[in-house]
Amino acid sequence: MAGLSITSVKKRFGETEVLKGVTLEIEDAEFVSLVGPSGCGKSTLLRIIAGLEDPTSGDIAIGNETVTGVRAADRNLSMVFQSYALYPHLTVAENIAVPLRMRSLSTSQRLPVIGPFLPGAQNKRADIASAVQHAAEMLEISALLDRKPGQLSGGQRQRVALGRALVREPAAFLLDEPLSNLDAKLRVQTRAEIAQLHRRLNATFIYVTHDQVEAMTMSDRIAVMMDGEILQCDAPSVIYEDPSDIRVAEFIGSPKMNILPVEVRDGALSLFGQSMGRAAEGAQSDVFQLGLRPEALRLAESNPVLTGSVTHVENLGAEVFAQVDLADQTTRVTCRAAPTERHKVRLGASVGLSFDLRDALIFDADGKRQRRFEASLSQPVEAA
Amino acid sequence: MAVIDSPAIPRKPAQVNRQARTAWGLAGPALALMFLILLVPVLVAGVLSFSNYSLGNSGFDWVGVQNYERLFTRSTYEKMFIATFTYVVTAVPISVGLGLGAALLVHSLGRIGDIYKTVYFLPVMATLLAMAIAWEFMLHPTIGMVNRTLEMACGTWFEVIPFLANGCADGFPLWLGDRDYAIWVVCFIGIWQGFGFNMVLYLAGLTSVHRELYHAAEMDGAKSAWERFRLVTWPALGPTTVFVVTISCIRAFQVFDTIEAFWPQGGGPNKSAYVMMFAIFEKGIQQNLIGIGSAITMLFLLFVMFLTLIQRWLVERKVHY
Repeated sequence: MAGLSITSVKKRFGETEVLKGVTLEIEDAEFVSLVGPSGCGKSTLLRIIAGLEDPTSGDIAIGNETVTGVRAADRNLSMVFQSYALYPHLTVAENIAVPLRMRSLSTSQRLPVIGPFLPGAQNKRADIASAVQHAAEMLEISALLDRKPGQLSGGQRQRVALGRALVREPAAFLLDEPLSNLDAKLRVQTRAEIAQLHRRLNATFIYVTHDQVEAMTMSDRIAVMMDGEILQCDAPSVIYEDPSDIRVAEFIGSPKMNILPVEVRDGALSLFGQSMGRAAEGAQSDVFQLGLRPEALRLAESNPVLTGSVTHVENLGAEVFAQVDLADQTTRVTCRAAPTERHKVRLGASVGLSFDLRDALIFDADGKRQRRFEASLSQPVEAA
Repeated sequence: MAVIDSPAIPRKPAQVNRQARTAWGLAGPALALMFLILLVPVLVAGVLSFSNYSLGNSGFDWVGVQNYERLFTRSTYEKMFIATFTYVVTAVPISVGLGLGAALLVHSLGRIGDIYKTVYFLPVMATLLAMAIAWEFMLHPTIGMVNRTLEMACGTWFEVIPFLANGCADGFPLWLGDRDYAIWVVCFIGIWQGFGFNMVLYLAGLTSVHRELYHAAEMDGAKSAWERFRLVTWPALGPTTVFVVTISCIRAFQVFDTIEAFWPQGGGPNKSAYVMMFAIFEKGIQQNLIGIGSAITMLFLLFVMFLTLIQRWLVERKVHY
């Protein structure tokens, strides 16, 4: 087990720059998710860490030892692939045994007929069999050991792929969207199991996904990647509550964060012409973007900050999300309502919304978070 | 036919009959053709193999298993079996092996691979009969290109090779006229002509190998090309290999063109290249001994059937995962 450090890794494919200098430190036994939309370079980064792809520039180190230029087979990493990549002609037990056979048996000891009778082979083979048995028990697939991958369901194959990864003790586990081929129910279940597995093995996990829910629920830290860069790498709660870039704020959270344009003029913050509060003296006049999570907006019958009509309602049972077209504006916002308020957000109903400015995040026109500006907002809502 | 319909709907017997008639009517032409041009000739050959029929004769006598008895007792037919099996046992493994090797090499190349693909496939497209005539000229003992090239090595350090040393001293082989070489020359030409076809089949098989499996093999510690081949490529090529081997075997049993072009009068020096197809042709057509010709044909059919059954069994049991 070891930590990893990735130092200004760049990767180009021809003219396209896929990774633009990624730097990331991963602690020993940490679970880090690389999350981002398709094509952001997260899988490429994982493959560079694995050694299946060479970086154009930059360095990878595993446990303080630089491995740039070292081939994948010598990096002592395990990987679970999106397609599972199980060997179709081998049984489950043989599939799980492959990494051990390749590493502990010599070429002659692996030979089909005479191999088992060569000196030393018997003991090694027995060790491998018991390691396979142990891994299978951990993943509860002992009953499947004699089957071939073609006879397994998607979830079972996924477990076999995990078994093949954890049968030896690698420096780190790399998982490339391992849940994306599973159905929704199985995905939730396996998600919890992988998180438990991480706690049990106490190993370094690097997990690539495009699903922010997976990243939020399993990780110690999330690295949000976009356009070949890591925008922010922090604990899930920090990423959600305190994003430093508007792209992170918009990507994480479902439904998406509401973004409203706000203006600062002579120190006064105004939203659609309504004064919202005052910034400290000296704040420059500019246009900003106000980010509000759906749960930050609440239905208000008196003194609403925003008004509009409900155009779409999503009832999830425990909560209701209503999309509200703001009156006289082209903007649409999503707000969360409690099930008890469901009658208020019927389709077509007029609703008033208000929010606490302390729940709002303020970004500049380029999308950078303006924490100092937020802190300088002296008055909570004084308007309307 | 009726399976398409929902079984829940009860139907009248008349309707069922009409559907059955339509079904037979539609399948009829194909069945009739199959009977006429495949099964009937096979049956006729089977029947004639127990007779002494000759074309033009008004009648024939039943001779029982005499024709088959001859096949297994006379030295001519012993030579036929030896030549045929020598050819099959040599040409099949080598042409399959070379086909696989060439496919792996071509597959690993980029655009240059296309040139090699064309080069290796050219002999497959050429007419074997014409190619055989060209080879006949090349293998001519005195004016042929092969022996004249070999003679160039005389007097150089190449003479350390015993074959060349003997050749320079006593003259190079007669090739097509030498009974120790004749069948091997036929094998060589068969391999040269056939492995390009196997290569193309293997190339098609290689495109279906999942690329991520190679990455998995690398992560699992398969470092050498041989280990990756054993772990990923070879198992994935299983179905292709069964097909290629079966096709190559059947083609090998069918070898005829080269023999007919080299030795139209009798299957090589001392009948050393007297293969089954040529025997069928010589007995059945040239000598008008339909009975014995049919008997060899039935035996030929038996071998091909046997190979096909093995292929079916392998495909169903072993190579599909």
